[in-house]
Amino acid sequence: MWKSYGQGAYVVRDVSFALRRGEFLTLLGPSGSGKTTTLMMVAGFEKPTRGEILVDGHDVASRPPERRNFGVVFQGYALFPQKNVLENVEFGLRMKGVPSAARRRRALDMLDKVGLAGFAARKPRELSGGQQQRVALARALVFEPDALLLDEPLSALDRKLRESLQNEIKDLQKRFGISILFVTHDQDEAMMMSDRVAVMAEGRITQIGSPSDVYLHPATPFVASFLGETNLVPGAYRGTDEGYAVVEFKDAARGRARLPADGRTLTAGEAVVVSVRPERMRLLIQQAERKFAGVVSDCTFMGRHTRYRIQALGQPLTVSVTEWSPASAPCAGAPVWVGWEAEDAQILSGPDGSLATP
Amino acid sequence: MSASGSLRFSGNTLLLIAAAPILLFLLLPSLIIVPMALSKSQMIQFPPEWISLHSFADYLGDQQWVESTLLSFKVSIVAVFIAAVTGGTAAIALLGRNFAGKGLLVGLIMMPIVTPVVILALGDYLLFAQLHLVGSWITIAIAHGVLATPYVFISAQTSLTSNLNPALVRSARSLGAQPSSVLYHVYWPAIRPGVLAGSMLGFAVSFDEVVLALFLQGANSVTLPVRTFTAIQFELTPKIAASASLFIALALVALALQALAARKTGQLS
Repeated sequence: MWKSYGQGAYVVRDVSFALRRGEFLTLLGPSGSGKTTTLMMVAGFEKPTRGEILVDGHDVASRPPERRNFGVVFQGYALFPQKNVLENVEFGLRMKGVPSAARRRRALDMLDKVGLAGFAARKPRELSGGQQQRVALARALVFEPDALLLDEPLSALDRKLRESLQNEIKDLQKRFGISILFVTHDQDEAMMMSDRVAVMAEGRITQIGSPSDVYLHPATPFVASFLGETNLVPGAYRGTDEGYAVVEFKDAARGRARLPADGRTLTAGEAVVVSVRPERMRLLIQQAERKFAGVVSDCTFMGRHTRYRIQALGQPLTVSVTEWSPASAPCAGAPVWVGWEAEDAQILSGPDGSLATP
Repeated sequence: MSASGSLRFSGNTLLLIAAAPILLFLLLPSLIIVPMALSKSQMIQFPPEWISLHSFADYLGDQQWVESTLLSFKVSIVAVFIAAVTGGTAAIALLGRNFAGKGLLVGLIMMPIVTPVVILALGDYLLFAQLHLVGSWITIAIAHGVLATPYVFISAQTSLTSNLNPALVRSARSLGAQPSSVLYHVYWPAIRPGVLAGSMLGFAVSFDEVVLALFLQGANSVTLPVRTFTAIQFELTPKIAASASLFIALALVALALQALAARKTGQLS
């Protein structure tokens, strides 16, 4: 799919993905990355400049939203304020011409399934945020849509409520076996809920894969830093060893890392950037093989883990340590050795490893 | 604290002292007409002699006055209907849209408020004369509809922007609603208070409008304000005062209903 609002600048460029039956796929990206525009094109509110949207092999790109069969849940839920819960849930069936007795039965049945059996006569404003979400989901599910499209439904809510509603959506998805296309800018939300995550930046899908895959093996510096904290260590490619790349860092220190996630081949001597998550770093108090000498510049006790700032390989590194007891652990000024398993380090794509390049 | 409080108090007092005579000056001529209508005399005069309801009886007994009154209601109701449909749909059409010439279009809709009514009346007269429609009450209704449209448009627009959640439109469409269903289920509940409030105002504007009605009058289409205006020149009867009292009563009712509708608009948002 491609989308431009004129003047030749595309807000969505060459985006292509398949939503599998029963899958939870999340479009994750910062604002302006084109994720909402992509969702709106699928829903039918934006017309793709080029491209097609296939449902079971049929192109629906030219159909208006009312003639596509998607359930859409909006931010703030957009329930009809004058209608009660039952009328809200019935609405889709009513628009599709289902006779009133049948649609009432199906709507009540759906309300029962989402645990709102006694709320049929209430107005939306008399419900809590969680109940409103359930009404919105019931309304979008009752007419048996091809897929559910969710446009940042939780981003306006506080953290506690958000977590419980995330669980509810996930739960409902499993029970109904429905395919969901979800849009969010919150990487934790994406991680927690999705079967697959498509990370978007500047109108493109930069990487698509399972949450663990995208988190542990990011393709670009952008993906690595957008999905949480990471250490980016520049070096030079020096060949392969046991299927891993050998990278030479500052002061001729050598380490190993996974080859680029996008399958790009490297040439000897090429400048590369290695990404290692703080919690995948290993910290030792004595020298070992493939560990780099460093000095602790700062340590902060965070509860579940202790956060170390370490000067090594000629740059500051962040290491998160859980196993050391804070009482006996070394801190500022102590000499340490840092390193990582080759499997936990990832060579990124992107010419200079600059964060601006997706 | 107390200093600023007393300052505010004295400011309010000054305002009251300045405003009260002006308010009195503006209201007195309107209120004088009511006791005049209650006069016993055959001539319109102030102060009235004795209290009597005979001017109202005269007014209701006079075929011509009654016809004019009914005609005025008919004209105003049709005018308000035209204004409600035009102003309401214009407000919906212009909502959230930006295009070259939008300001010009809004200006055109608002034009009847700023155009001198005499100019409007002359234009209407020349146009409808060409079409051989002068002298028909429906012509006056159309002209009044144009005059009342901006009032409905403005209050419908306010009502829409404060009540309508744009996501509701998308939400309804995603649930399979055709444009007509979106209009009925989403736009209408949001615009209704504004259209009602604007219609009250439009009714008041049309009901006592005299210039357009005078230009476009015919033998069988003399509205109540025109009848009153003409009567002043020939027969100074208390019927005039009686009809004027009716105008005041209607204006008060319209104002009250409009305030009520406006309060409902506020409650919804």
